[in-house]
Amino acid sequence: MKKVVLTLLLSVLWCSSSFAHFQMLYTPESALEKGTTIELREVFTHPFADEHTMNMGKQHDSKENSAVESFYVINKGKKKDLLNSLKQITWKGHHNSGSAYKSQYKAQRMGDHLFVLQPAPYYEAGEDIYIQQITKMIVNVAGAPTDWDKELGLKAEIVPLTKPYSIWTGSTFSGIVKSNGKPVPFAEIEVEYLNRNVDLAANAMGPALVEAPQDSFVTIGIKADQDGKFTFGIPKAGWWGFCALGAGSDKEYKGKELSQDAVIWVQAKDMK
Amino acid sequence: MKGQTMKKIILMTMFYMLLLVATASAHTALMSCFDEGDGTITCEGGFSDGSSASGVKFHVAQKGQKILETKMNEYSEVNFKKPEGDYQAVFDAGEGHQVIVDGNDIVE
Repeated sequence: MKKVVLTLLLSVLWCSSSFAHFQMLYTPESALEKGTTIELREVFTHPFADEHTMNMGKQHDSKENSAVESFYVINKGKKKDLLNSLKQITWKGHHNSGSAYKSQYKAQRMGDHLFVLQPAPYYEAGEDIYIQQITKMIVNVAGAPTDWDKELGLKAEIVPLTKPYSIWTGSTFSGIVKSNGKPVPFAEIEVEYLNRNVDLAANAMGPALVEAPQDSFVTIGIKADQDGKFTFGIPKAGWWGFCALGAGSDKEYKGKELSQDAVIWVQAKDMK
Repeated sequence: MKGQTMKKIILMTMFYMLLLVATASAHTALMSCFDEGDGTITCEGGFSDGSSASGVKFHVAQKGQKILETKMNEYSEVNFKKPEGDYQAVFDAGEGHQVIVDGNDIVE
């Protein structure tokens, strides 16, 4: 009997942790005064609880992790490939370490630098499915808006309606969940706070900043409306991730179910 | 008939003036410059509402003298030879819409 209870408990725990995966595309500052070279970290983790760092590109039929499929940036409509800038690292989470990447980018020109990262699908053994999170993050130089609201027609995409780099704490972020340019009605969206200070030098997560009063606050579940649109009030300064689950058009990978998700990161600042 | 045309003109003028006021007050002039590393400097101009700075006046000042006067090109940019010593890059979109970047703050 004890065994059954334990198994049930473990499976419940397993289920709750298997959601809330977030592909991070992290940089310390999204609103730059002027052009500079920025540090980026590409980590597949659980940004609030930091309970498990995944090996990016993990496969079910190979010990080798698959490489990132695409990584690029768009500034003033010009696309630049960044795939070769990725360097493999071991990211140290609170509970374990995982295979991740670091890179640098010269954000020299004024305006928005819209980053898109499409990692290889990741095999989630707990659910026997693959997860691929197409991730957007925008860095702005000197305040001129140029590319932040561009719709890229990705298989899974959150198109922002609010500039992701100029959000006051206590205001809101709105976006539209899309797949190949079409809105995804009533899309299921997970929202998580990056609840850690990131140690760039050590490639590690710091201690937790806040505690969730209950499990439903760790990963906040919201839904888009009939037009795929959503709005979320941002209660605290820092990075917030939005993930539209299974919004993408690809549903299968290597004969297994694929959840092709759209992720966007936004950064809020305190009024002070 | 004449009176009506006049009225129309006045109304239209008022309408456009209102539009002008609205656009002029709602945005901030912006400029960002960097050293190309080849002996030249590139300055990019813009406005906070995303509108183009193409054709906006630009000059480089040194010891209070304008050593270069030009306009932002079709890409809202200016490229010029890096002056020796201290200088200022000035984006001049009219009163209240000037941005001055000090040469010492312009790096690669």
